[in-house]
Amino acid sequence: MTGVVDAEAVTKRYGEVLGLNGFSATFSEGITGLVGPNGAGKSTLFRLLAGQLRADAGRLTLLGEPAWGQGEFRRRVGYCPESPALFDWMTGNDFVTTLLRVDGFSRTEATERCARAMAEVDLTADGNRRLRVYSKGMRQRVKIAQCIAHDPELILLDEPLNGVDPVGRAAMSALMRQMSTSGRHLVVSSHVLYEVERLTDQIVMIANGQAIAQGDLHRIRDLIDSRPHVIDLESSDPRALGRALSAWDHVVSIEFPEPWHLRVLTRSPDSFYATLPELVLAQGLNVQAVRSADDNLDAVFRYLSEERR
Amino acid sequence: MSGEIGRLTTVAWLSFRGGLQGLRAIGLAAFAVFPAVIVAAIAASHPAASTLANSALALFALLTLPIVAMVILLVLAVAQFRTEIDSETLIYLSDRSVARPTLVVGKYLGAVGSSLVFVLPAALLPLAVSDLGGGTAYAANVAGAVATAAVLATLAYAGIFLFLGLATRSALLVGLLFGFLWEELLPLLPGDVPQFTVIFYLRSFLSGTLSSGPLSGYSGAMAPAPAVVTLVLVAVAFVVFASLVFRYLETAPEKETA
Repeated sequence: MTGVVDAEAVTKRYGEVLGLNGFSATFSEGITGLVGPNGAGKSTLFRLLAGQLRADAGRLTLLGEPAWGQGEFRRRVGYCPESPALFDWMTGNDFVTTLLRVDGFSRTEATERCARAMAEVDLTADGNRRLRVYSKGMRQRVKIAQCIAHDPELILLDEPLNGVDPVGRAAMSALMRQMSTSGRHLVVSSHVLYEVERLTDQIVMIANGQAIAQGDLHRIRDLIDSRPHVIDLESSDPRALGRALSAWDHVVSIEFPEPWHLRVLTRSPDSFYATLPELVLAQGLNVQAVRSADDNLDAVFRYLSEERR
Repeated sequence: MSGEIGRLTTVAWLSFRGGLQGLRAIGLAAFAVFPAVIVAAIAASHPAASTLANSALALFALLTLPIVAMVILLVLAVAQFRTEIDSETLIYLSDRSVARPTLVVGKYLGAVGSSLVFVLPAALLPLAVSDLGGGTAYAANVAGAVATAAVLATLAYAGIFLFLGLATRSALLVGLLFGFLWEELLPLLPGDVPQFTVIFYLRSFLSGTLSSGPLSGYSGAMAPAPAVVTLVLVAVAFVVFASLVFRYLETAPEKETA
């Protein structure tokens, strides 16, 4: 394995509770989304990667270095924890500059880097305010500032969009994409799947402390192709459309959730999409919209989680 | 090397400032002036000049060192690690490239510095109040000896409590037991048992330095110089122990939130 992050059968226990249970995955270059529900093990993995926790079993490396332990390689890693806790009595600039000084930068360089990082997260104007008066979104941004200020190769962002308003989310997502295009690797966790979906195709899905799928979004979709897919159609005459579709072997079920809305469960979405236009033209059916309800990660995650039960 | 010193001073300065923030600092400041308030109350009752002066000195041995300084040091030294682990702010320091022993020493220096801001006034203000209240003037070396004892107590107890903050999740409780049972009861036992307490060496130092007054004449005391050396060694030893513990310590709280 030669990824930015390599995990091999990593296990971490909290007493009787398993935080990670034989987690294995390889995180590639660029942005990787770590997706899973609350309690899945995302923060445990981040804390292991940040050297805050030590794995009970397995092998975990980042940038080729063991995750447990300090040392100069930590300068190559930036970590933005999920916790909102900060040194509230400090100003934003003081916070970032102090952490840069702890990382060994001179006072002058720390001040310059702090200014750049605060500008990147759009906090320049608030840099001299105390952290205790920062809003939740500003706290997230200053955490990101401290995480990128030393220009790390690998950036670990644990739920970075939590508590950020919609405008801030868009700005933050743009910032993450920009960081990625400037050659930095990002691992971004979220329990809100569409956030990650909009950020990257490269996904590692985690549940119950295990990686349940990994790869690009479409590859993950391929993993579940054997299961029925939900396709929503809108038509002015859904009954007629339903009758025509029910003749297909791969159609498992048809529902009518709303008067103009048809929900089809099919075992072969590819055949469905390939043959639908012919059917519509041949029978003169009315179809106003076709949507795959499985196109979002929520559906993918639901499928994969169910499959492992 | 200069880089590591820069990191050390940054951590120490951060910890020093952190110790002087918020309601905790206000509470500790109020606690620190408590001995001076008691001396002021004694002065208000117009005792004999020598009684007032001796009361202020006796208070240093009976209240300031074993209770006021102990509590201040316990709170501030434990806060350096245990409180920061629990509040999840230590993460910002421990995921950096700084060596863990540097973090420990920096935090120790910060704890010592911020504690002295409270402990020194707690030690010296009662003497000043006694002077202002008409107490017999102290000999020239008394204030120096009291201040030195306060500094030595700070060095030793800060090391012990810093270590406890890393070694146990119940550091405050264990610290209180140490401060109020170990340090109070063992000195009452016969033989060499008192030598296993920090307070024995502090009293030895005071007894050997001051020729008269309530702080002199501590039975079984050793000479001031070896007492000072022992106290400094205790401080160094516990900082080393703390570094060893911190090297293998997981600094995230034991929970899974996401």
